[in-house]
Amino acid sequence: MEKKVARALAKLRRVRGLSEEEKYLFARSLVATPDERWRLHESFLRSHDLFTRSARRKYGFR
Amino acid sequence: MSGAILQGVPATTLDTDIWIDLPSRQYIRVLNLCRRLGAEVRANTVVDLSDGSTVNFLYQVHGLRGFHYEYQRAKRLNWLGMTVAVLPLKRIYASKKFVRRPKDLAHLPLLEQTMKLGRRLARETRKPVLDRAKK
Repeated sequence: MEKKVARALAKLRRVRGLSEEEKYLFARSLVATPDERWRLHESFLRSHDLFTRSARRKYGFR
Repeated sequence: MSGAILQGVPATTLDTDIWIDLPSRQYIRVLNLCRRLGAEVRANTVVDLSDGSTVNFLYQVHGLRGFHYEYQRAKRLNWLGMTVAVLPLKRIYASKKFVRRPKDLAHLPLLEQTMKLGRRLARETRKPVLDRAKK
């Protein structure tokens, strides 16, 4: 996946108004398959302990 | 936002919205099916699945046309071994722009940027092929 991201990032290099980190984020997300995108999303929630409702309630989410 | 995430929007969401083609008064049919699948019912339109994820059922989506019109034009994606129909980003954008809750408005720039960059990537990817064709 990293090769695909690097190719996409090169194509987004001249986009204005985005930092390098933001461009990387978009490049990674756009070249990923739906399954990969969903995995990234779930990993993000799990890393913040927000994946399940019971976990979210600890932080005040309803 | 789940449909948007599956199409490349680098966002996150706490639940998955599923649009059901039934009158809302028949919500009990959906809840019974969820119970049979081991889900825990939280409200008339909200269930927690056995993996802990939350699903929200919608019987009407504001700012869009009817279910059949949108379903025919939905994008078909392969996701977790299934083919699922998701609203195209343009239609998600239209709905959020219409609904205008703060969280919807917050997503608009991200959706817009993703559509713009997606078009740019598609254009740039086609370019070498076109250049070769010219030669």
